[in-house]
Amino acid sequence: MRTDLKLPALAIVAVLMVGACSSGTPSSSPGGAASVAPGGSAPASAPASVAPSEAAAPTPEPAEACAQSQDPNAMQMWERSGGNKGMVDILVCAWNAANAAKPINLSYIVHTEMVAKIAQGVASGDVPDLMGMDLIYAPQFENADQLVDITDQTKDWPELADVSPGHKTVATFNDRLFGVPLYADVSALFYNKDLFTQAGLDPDKPPTSLAELRTYADAITKLGDDIKGYYLPGNCAGCNIFTVGPLMWASGATIEAEKCGSEPLVGDGVKQVAQWAREMVAAGNVPEGARAETGATFAEQFGSGKLGMMGTGNFNIVLARDQMKDHPFEFGISLLPGVEAGKYASFIGGDLVVIPKGSKRIDDALAFMHYLLTDESQVELYAKALNLTTRTDPKLTDNQYYAAEPLIADVAKALAVGRTPYTLTFFEQINSPQGPWLQMLQKAYYTDEDLDAVINKAKDDMKAISCT
Amino acid sequence: MTAIPMRAPLSRVWWRVWAGRNRYLFGAVCLFIVALMLAPIALSMMASVKSTAEAAAVPPTYIPGSLSLDSYERLWTYQAGLPAYLFNSTATAFMTIAFALALTIPAGYALARFPIPGKELLFVYLLFALIIPYQALLTPIFLMFAQLKLTNTLVGLAIVHTAIQLPFSLYIMRNSFEAVPRELEEAAVTDGANSLQILIRICIPSVVPAIVTVALFAFVTSWNEFLGALVLMSKESTFTLPLILASARDETSLGGTDWGMLQAGITISMIPCIGIYLLLQKYYVSGLTSGAVK
Amino acid sequence: MYARPRSKLIGLLYLTPALVFVTAFTAYPFVQMVWLSFNNWTLITPPRFIGINNFTRALGDDQFWVSLGYTLEYTLLITPILMIGGYALALLVSPNTPLRRFTRAVIFIPVVIGLGVSSLLWVWLFDPRVGLINQALSDLGVIDEPIQWLGTDAWVSTWSIILSVVWKVLGFGMILFVAAIHAIPHEINEATMVDGASFWQRTRRVTIPLTSPTILLVTLISVIGSLLAFDQFYIMTAGQPFNQTATAVFYVYLNSFPYLKLGYGAALSLILALIILVFTIVQMSLTRRRRA
Repeated sequence: MRTDLKLPALAIVAVLMVGACSSGTPSSSPGGAASVAPGGSAPASAPASVAPSEAAAPTPEPAEACAQSQDPNAMQMWERSGGNKGMVDILVCAWNAANAAKPINLSYIVHTEMVAKIAQGVASGDVPDLMGMDLIYAPQFENADQLVDITDQTKDWPELADVSPGHKTVATFNDRLFGVPLYADVSALFYNKDLFTQAGLDPDKPPTSLAELRTYADAITKLGDDIKGYYLPGNCAGCNIFTVGPLMWASGATIEAEKCGSEPLVGDGVKQVAQWAREMVAAGNVPEGARAETGATFAEQFGSGKLGMMGTGNFNIVLARDQMKDHPFEFGISLLPGVEAGKYASFIGGDLVVIPKGSKRIDDALAFMHYLLTDESQVELYAKALNLTTRTDPKLTDNQYYAAEPLIADVAKALAVGRTPYTLTFFEQINSPQGPWLQMLQKAYYTDEDLDAVINKAKDDMKAISCT
Repeated sequence: MTAIPMRAPLSRVWWRVWAGRNRYLFGAVCLFIVALMLAPIALSMMASVKSTAEAAAVPPTYIPGSLSLDSYERLWTYQAGLPAYLFNSTATAFMTIAFALALTIPAGYALARFPIPGKELLFVYLLFALIIPYQALLTPIFLMFAQLKLTNTLVGLAIVHTAIQLPFSLYIMRNSFEAVPRELEEAAVTDGANSLQILIRICIPSVVPAIVTVALFAFVTSWNEFLGALVLMSKESTFTLPLILASARDETSLGGTDWGMLQAGITISMIPCIGIYLLLQKYYVSGLTSGAVK
Repeated sequence: MYARPRSKLIGLLYLTPALVFVTAFTAYPFVQMVWLSFNNWTLITPPRFIGINNFTRALGDDQFWVSLGYTLEYTLLITPILMIGGYALALLVSPNTPLRRFTRAVIFIPVVIGLGVSSLLWVWLFDPRVGLINQALSDLGVIDEPIQWLGTDAWVSTWSIILSVVWKVLGFGMILFVAAIHAIPHEINEATMVDGASFWQRTRRVTIPLTSPTILLVTLISVIGSLLAFDQFYIMTAGQPFNQTATAVFYVYLNSFPYLKLGYGAALSLILALIILVFTIVQMSLTRRRRA
């Protein structure tokens, strides 16, 4: 045995050691892509206080101790990490200040791991008392019967009447309600008025169709000096559903397969937008580096002042204002157009507050939910931080904070044409960096492959996913 | 030994001439390789002490223009704070060492010294699981731990790290016990000492190098391991260093990666492993090569 | 010694903790994994038995086969580099002079760093904006435009990753080769010296044949390690471009965790484990024939 087994045993041992010395630190945001960052599920409002120098090398805000209550009686709350932190910290801190008897201890989970982490928590019976959940994943957990039905407890809340419709859709399953909005993100077309003027375009006439967008982009790119007409995030699935998805919707197409048996990517708009994007890239209207965009630098592109137009979200207003301090420029916000002039669409994203089954503090969690929806919270917490209110009542949106930043009103118009996809397999169909949605777009942007074949492949993959 | 034998026959003379002519060349090649191997580590460590602005500067600098601990400060207060993560990592690593030794010392002793029926098969059983990628086993392990309430605990994580590390440790331990001269024990046996006394008084002192090797590898495995921790730990307060490093890279995704803080994290992750290796190189290398070429 | 009948029992007693541990935390999970592979399970809903559906699905899963093919390609590319490079370094540094011992020690340093950490480090070095590789190349006048090392072109990405992995693990093979070279009996070396054989003749006729078991061993380790590659791809390309650099383990991970298809992931793991087993057996039989 000594000699016979020695080598096999050693081989095995050595294999182990390769593992031993090599199991390291896969970041959950691969340089390539796993970051689901901005977009459908991510953008989340950028911290309101990012100084220009920090925007280049952002400093995570100092731990907001007021959001991490050490009280033994504290409710445990999970929330995904990301740029939403600033807003959510404000909300939880305000609650903790007003409710010393039932404070919240907030902890953040890496957003790319969110679905898996919550699932793990559910499986091990180790769930928080409440959690902030990317709204897009809510149907998956509602369908799995993992969230507390709050329909009856909330039926007398008048605030629910004007809650953001996108949030409400995904918070509802079989006519039962499972959550309320935590915050909202909405996509729109940002454009640089200075560059418009320089390129001989009318700064008060943003494009109303994709063809116009193309013409404008060509004109702006001609300015040279690294200035480009448009931005397409090449390696970020979430950013694309957030900003390119609406172009397809506005062109009459649908994207995801809602459930097994439903047809994804229906309508000529899919191919038209893909073709349009392919030509935009070929014409040099998109910065070279955009292909590597994993979402990591998505939000800082527009504020650089080198882009004529860009599909991005409301969070970008504050960020761009901070970024432009050393190179000020005027910008405007319009809606993301489609093929046909005057047709627009938008993606309504953000988070919901939900209560996982197994929560020991359902009543207190409900109180927090109600607190978020009150008129005062809407104005003094959301609007004051220049985030979108999660209710649409004009008496709320007509506030002093928005009055001081007129662009908020412009971006809020997107809510009217906005939608939120609804599917139980959103991550796998759309948001996964390895999923069919991004694969399709990358082949449209960067290859010459036949678009019909590319789209059909994505269709097949999405259908297969929706049926598993 | 050296490649050049001590006594020099005739051919040795021209070998020396040849070698002499090439000595400087070889020396230069060696130094070049050393520089190449050290460069990434050195550059990363230097980047970790750049100022925040310089760490994100385009184009990048090779050598910091000024020294700054800003990146470390940000890491220090990041989320639950670096001390908490260092504690989690260290505690897990030391538990892994303890478990690995507690299991493999008696087992190695048994395999080396006792006429256990089917011993070879048992040994293979203890090792063979290694050709299964342990990543694949994490799901069922997670399930089991969920029932045992071991998820989100450092003990649970240490158990997984021990499972990863056990076969190697056992192999080293068994070989070392086998190498202990039996004569040492015979006197004790005649004196009527029982097996436990022999193990403690005679065998363990003779296998100290193996114990160091096992502890060393257990530490490094546990310190660097990521996927198991990712699966088992869902509460941020129980994260180990690699996990928080990963999430640090992710966290800042909205405004671009905080490269300075990332390099600070990489540096802090590397230092213990490199330090231990340099201090205990002998055990590290002998552990790796033991049995490989005998 | 210890040949008394009771000693069997005592020995077993010493062995029991390890046996129990391995049974509980390796063997039992393995059996559970096999069971899982016949189920559809999302972690948040109860498992459902679906027979061999997961396996038939794997057969028709293009991406799985693309991933498997890519993993084999990567293995075929990197293994010769690790073997030849590691051996060449071992020949260079095996003499026990201070400089060469030092070089040996330095080459081994990256081996002790976690692969994940080293991958993050290389992501930074390869970064087109802040990375020092492009900076150095443009300072040297080799390139005008920054190169997108990772995620844009499959071939460039693969070689970039290979470079980082070679840096990280070259020392591993080297150290084993050095030990093997040191173990060659003095007399044999001396005999060939007397014959007047040159260094290269000696290397070819004596050193390599006498260290062949170690060469086979390191090959096996490299092959298995490469077939199980995950961390570096997960961090450095995440499958980009077009999922062309998604390795097999990466795809298994993707299904098991982010997609919450634990049953399917288990089935894919099982297939992968089987392939690795075949490689191991082939390699072992080669070793054995060599010895016989």
